[in-house]
Amino acid sequence: MTVADSPLARRNPTVKFALLVVVSLALLFVFEPVTPAVLYGIALVAVAASSGIRPRLLLVGHLPFVGVAVGLLLVNALSRPGTEIMRLGLLRVTAEGVEVGAALGFRTLVIGVLALGFVVSTDGVRLMTSLHQHARLGLRFTYAVLAGYRTLEELPREWQLIRHAHAVRTRAARGHPLGDVRAFARAAFALLVVSLRRGERLAMALESRGLGLAPRTIWRPVALTGTDVVFAAGSLLVLATVFALTLPR
Amino acid sequence: MSRRLTLKDLVLVAVLGTVLGFLYWALVQAWTALSLLMGPAGDLAQHLLLGGWLLVAPIAVAIVRKPFVGIIAEVLASVIEVVFLGSAVGPLLIVAAAIQGAGSELPFALTRYRRFGWWVYALSGLCGAGLVFFYSAFRSGWYGQDLFLIRLVVQLVSGVVLGGLLAKIIVDGLARTGVVDNFAIGRVLPRRDRA
Amino acid sequence: MTLVSLRDVSVAFPRRGTGVLHGIALEIAPGERMLVIGGSGSGKSTLLQLVTGVIPHSVTAQVEGTVTVSGVDTRTTSVVDLSRTVAVLAQDPASGICLPTVEEEIALPLENRGVDPTAISGLIDAALCSAGVAHLRTRRTTRLSGGEGQRVALAAALAAGPALLLLDEPTSMLDSEGVAAVRDAIASSVARYAPAVVLVEHRLDEFAGHAGLAALPERTIVLGAAGTLAADGPTREVLADHARMLTAAGCWLPIGNELDAVFGTVGGLESPAVRAGLTSLARRSTADEAADDPGPGRGTTLLAATALSVSRTRRPRRSRAPYTPVLSGVDLDLHAGQVVALLGANGSGKSTLLLTLAGLLPAAAGAVTGERPGMVFQNPEHQFVAHTVSDEVGYGLPPGSGSLVARLLDSHGLAHLADQSPHRLSGGEKRRVSLAAMLAHGRGTLLADEPTFGLDRRATISVITALRGAARDGAAVLFSSHDLRTVATLADRAVVVADGRMIANGPVFEVLRDAAVLESAHLGLPPLVRWLLENAGSDAGVLRALRALDAEVPVEAVAAS
Repeated sequence: MTVADSPLARRNPTVKFALLVVVSLALLFVFEPVTPAVLYGIALVAVAASSGIRPRLLLVGHLPFVGVAVGLLLVNALSRPGTEIMRLGLLRVTAEGVEVGAALGFRTLVIGVLALGFVVSTDGVRLMTSLHQHARLGLRFTYAVLAGYRTLEELPREWQLIRHAHAVRTRAARGHPLGDVRAFARAAFALLVVSLRRGERLAMALESRGLGLAPRTIWRPVALTGTDVVFAAGSLLVLATVFALTLPR
Repeated sequence: MSRRLTLKDLVLVAVLGTVLGFLYWALVQAWTALSLLMGPAGDLAQHLLLGGWLLVAPIAVAIVRKPFVGIIAEVLASVIEVVFLGSAVGPLLIVAAAIQGAGSELPFALTRYRRFGWWVYALSGLCGAGLVFFYSAFRSGWYGQDLFLIRLVVQLVSGVVLGGLLAKIIVDGLARTGVVDNFAIGRVLPRRDRA
Repeated sequence: MTLVSLRDVSVAFPRRGTGVLHGIALEIAPGERMLVIGGSGSGKSTLLQLVTGVIPHSVTAQVEGTVTVSGVDTRTTSVVDLSRTVAVLAQDPASGICLPTVEEEIALPLENRGVDPTAISGLIDAALCSAGVAHLRTRRTTRLSGGEGQRVALAAALAAGPALLLLDEPTSMLDSEGVAAVRDAIASSVARYAPAVVLVEHRLDEFAGHAGLAALPERTIVLGAAGTLAADGPTREVLADHARMLTAAGCWLPIGNELDAVFGTVGGLESPAVRAGLTSLARRSTADEAADDPGPGRGTTLLAATALSVSRTRRPRRSRAPYTPVLSGVDLDLHAGQVVALLGANGSGKSTLLLTLAGLLPAAAGAVTGERPGMVFQNPEHQFVAHTVSDEVGYGLPPGSGSLVARLLDSHGLAHLADQSPHRLSGGEKRRVSLAAMLAHGRGTLLADEPTFGLDRRATISVITALRGAARDGAAVLFSSHDLRTVATLADRAVVVADGRMIANGPVFEVLRDAAVLESAHLGLPPLVRWLLENAGSDAGVLRALRALDAEVPVEAVAAS
């Protein structure tokens, strides 16, 4: 099963996005660790099974947020007042701190793995089209986001070119921190100027293609099927069950 | 000039957000100390850099000068971040972005999009950083921590410096290059004839 | 019923003192094809922007008079509504494409016009076919080359069958392969969709190519320096009558017209009078030559590459696939006072080679020895670091270099722009700034990536003069280019890369005479250069003739230092 054919990839992008929003909102109010821990376990299995993602990518994809999660645990464990359970020199580890820290840590892990599954199984353009279709997102807004994405694709190349172009003009020895910051700032400004100029032309191109004329059709509309409804309902059911079973009364 | 945001305005603002987001990532990549900070110590270091996230809004407002453009700029940038880059923060990043945008835009709105001196920018950074602080404080449970006051102060300072004053420097620089001449900012600046 | 009508139209921009267009009166009939020519700054793009409605809706300008498109006044109709009738192909391939895949891009205008979704796929195929890029249908747009991008944008512009197609310098940012491909695509797609066409093109010599005037639209209008309509009539006559004026304004004319203007003849390269004139130019030696003294090995070696291999990416540590660098086994010496041209097809590794020689990319194998060179990049805006032109030229110089900066500004004709932001300048001016800024450092070797890219004739000649001046001052110069006329006029030696290796390295005219080498590098000799190589009698003669033709164009004083 490749990522492109996986069951998750075939689900309606707006539905997936909406579920991600619901989970995020639900967890916003949870400050004890059992619920998010259980949800993480379920989410990890679900993403691994339904998105066709390679195990290595799944692991590597965790890196950006695992560090954050660990950090949250540590900071909270050490900086909350409450019943002390351990002492490391001048630092006190408190029970309340560990509890909240673990909750926030697991929350980060849940959202992180779900976001990973989402972005791996969803084509951004299909998502924007779907949001325009199903969520009534404005046309100009939708295409502005797509224009931003288009610009993003070109940025690494432009950035490298600009860095080279600037490097060739200075004789200064590398490594001096202040010099590096100023060099970065100059290159950053150049990138901004070149990109904004291109952006203006992109907007003109979109208008000349007739963006904004009505009535308008969609060539390949994104489907919203019965399977999507079942998927959504099922996910919400799982979420509600976990909450019901694990949240203390 | 109508107060409705045109496609050109929206694309400008989207590109602005995209480039700033990219530069933020490039900065983190280039400066290994920063990426270390972003990982485990990120929870504390985020206040230092928060000002950078605020940049989009005041720059967008200063160029386009129409209501809500600051909020929309932040939201567009965060949408690209969540949808195309799979930000691990998830969709709530968009909520945080909207709140940042609202705070940043407030001083400009209150001065009817006509005042663009250093103090408006500074205030913009202050309000943007402050408003989102209270949202994040709830979300991440900072209220119970000993560090609450330190977090607040660092965030506000970062907001004023990086999210306010730096924005003015960038806006003034861009105006000189002529790349934003066809927007509201270009209509108000002193005319200088080409030789 | 006229399609487009301009009545007494004048346009002025708030930031520029005098107006850009004055009292233009023009009518375009449905299906008519028209060419617009004029010097840079004469208002050609402004004219197109009036028709699309960008002026006055997106760009602030004062407009007098009326512009009517398909019966509606552009002042009261939005750009988007006008797009039902008017389609545009713009200059920059990268910003003419808005979506990540080619087929989505072509589908967009069709969706916008409410075309039935079941019909869209067929229309996409038809449009891509007519532009000659049917094979690119599922390609991601970031992977398109310049020529491919322009053809896709052309297909997108025509897919919905607009009544009018505006072409705004569509080939100015392309190399010679791209120019030929886009020109053919325009011909075939215009033949299929039959819109009215307004073409603004500055490289008429390349665009006309071997077909000559037959490849150009039948009607031509000329915009004079004051922004007035200087001529309006059949292309053949207009070009013949105004050739001198246009050449002086910096336009690239089809070679026949250029030669006729110089010699006062009719018939172009075929005419015996022209041939006699060229032969006499080839024989007449000028005062300049003594100072030149070219010679293949003059001067010390300032930069040497030995057994160099270059690659865009680093060699992977655990590679399963065979690893081939873009170029390998390059042996190249750059000597003081010598100008070397680097030739090769798109993607053959010229830019990568230049970046490696400049020390910006690590060599995959072999070594580069010598002092670090200066380098001028293809897009001058990538190199700008300062807020004013004088700061730009003085960047990186030790304090107290004010007089050096002033001298450079004068000799490059930039003194009157000293306080302007470099981003506000015209293409030619930006190029001169980036050259001056690099020359200010006085580095021994100068590398230049396509220094005459997208420039008009006057700006090209001033770049040639500046580079030759640098060589005369003792620098070693290496520049890449696809314009063989410029190469013949400027270079002493030529290096050709193709198929991953250097296939030629020798005196420039020797290389240009080698048909096999040019073939492998996908390069074609312009008719003028070919004729001169066969008939001018000697290499020095070819050079003399080319320089004499360039001398016919009045340029602002650019120093030979």
